[in-house]
Amino acid sequence: MDVAFGVTMMVMGMGVTLITLYLLSLVIGLLVKLFPYKAEEEKQE
Amino acid sequence: MDVFLASLSALGQGFANLTWQATVMLLLGCLLLYLAVARGIEPLLLIPIGFGVILGNLPLAGLSAQDEHGVIKLLYDAGILTELFPVLLFIGLGAMIDFGPMLANPMVLIFGAAGQFGIFLTLFLALALGFAKQEAISIAVIGACDGPTAIYVTSKFARDLLPAVSIAAYSYMSLVPILQPPIMRFLTTKKERATVMPAADKKVSKKVKILFPVVAGILTILIAPMGAPLMGMLMLGNFLKESGVVDRLTKVSESTLANTVTLFLGLCIGASMLGANFLQWRTILILLLGLVAISLDTVAGVLLGKFMYVVTKGKINPLLGAAGTSAFPMSARVVQKVGQKANPRNFLLFHAIGANTGGQIGSVMAAAVMLAIMAGMGIGPLP
Repeated sequence: MDVAFGVTMMVMGMGVTLITLYLLSLVIGLLVKLFPYKAEEEKQE
Repeated sequence: MDVFLASLSALGQGFANLTWQATVMLLLGCLLLYLAVARGIEPLLLIPIGFGVILGNLPLAGLSAQDEHGVIKLLYDAGILTELFPVLLFIGLGAMIDFGPMLANPMVLIFGAAGQFGIFLTLFLALALGFAKQEAISIAVIGACDGPTAIYVTSKFARDLLPAVSIAAYSYMSLVPILQPPIMRFLTTKKERATVMPAADKKVSKKVKILFPVVAGILTILIAPMGAPLMGMLMLGNFLKESGVVDRLTKVSESTLANTVTLFLGLCIGASMLGANFLQWRTILILLLGLVAISLDTVAGVLLGKFMYVVTKGKINPLLGAAGTSAFPMSARVVQKVGQKANPRNFLLFHAIGANTGGQIGSVMAAAVMLAIMAGMGIGPLP
């Protein structure tokens, strides 16, 4: 069994996935702040 | 008379060439059709797969995915070997997804990452059981609970395992309502499950919904370019939907395109399940590892949920973590059901749908990251 391969995949894979999704959540937070929901949109809907 | 007998014997060639493995596979094909029609289990997929199994295993019919010049071989080469079918399917998936609940509460994206933990633990298990690196990656990705992603990765690295991996990925997706609740109940107390979360009435502007697929697509592809075909098409499909100016393209993507590709994909996978290759211990092992992967995803998600419950002093229901898998919308419904059983005033569905869509992005991202790491290690896809 290639332990080094397994550990690398686990640490890097899980780590990068977690960091990317965290970054995405920050980006979403930024977008929501930049373009807040306005009451007019509700009227249009 | 001789001519008559010769023509008669030619007519019976199919029976003469019927092996026991082919007979078992014909029965398996019929079982899949029964499950789809009589039990309503994933009929959109199990009917093409079941019929593909029957057609592919009929001797001398020339309809298996390995029969040169056969029509299914043509589809297999064009759609599976080129990875075209799973990629096209992602346009349809993107057009079907509403990221709204996730955009309203972006913190739930973290559950989408925890829901992929099983992938990496199962990779370890598969390596320990003697599977090669490329095979282990393909088996582990069953834990993404995401059929097209599993097919995409497996068709890149271990085409021999494609039938077993796809069957496992799709069947476990439909078994989520049975697999997840016992794990959720085992890992949480009734008090935790009964946690009421505030009503999710936060709305997101149209601009955010339109910008999200563009920004998310660029960011994730820059981080893991190997997953660009999956993430790019997912975000394209979602942009078509959210832009609101291409209704025709959106409708085609979420219905005609997705359905046509699902039909051909299922047929090809079924026709590649040949008795001699499929009826092996390895297949059972792969199915078991897939089960472990999805169970571990749920365990990791709920444990992260418990951690968030403690950190937020009981404001987050730990069950939400179980919705971090990509089984959409089954996981979210399971969370709602288990939560409401503990407390009838509990309405977790909106939050759970957010975590569930986060799981869809998470599964594609996890696969993309694995592909990128493999490329970095010099382990390329099959020619």
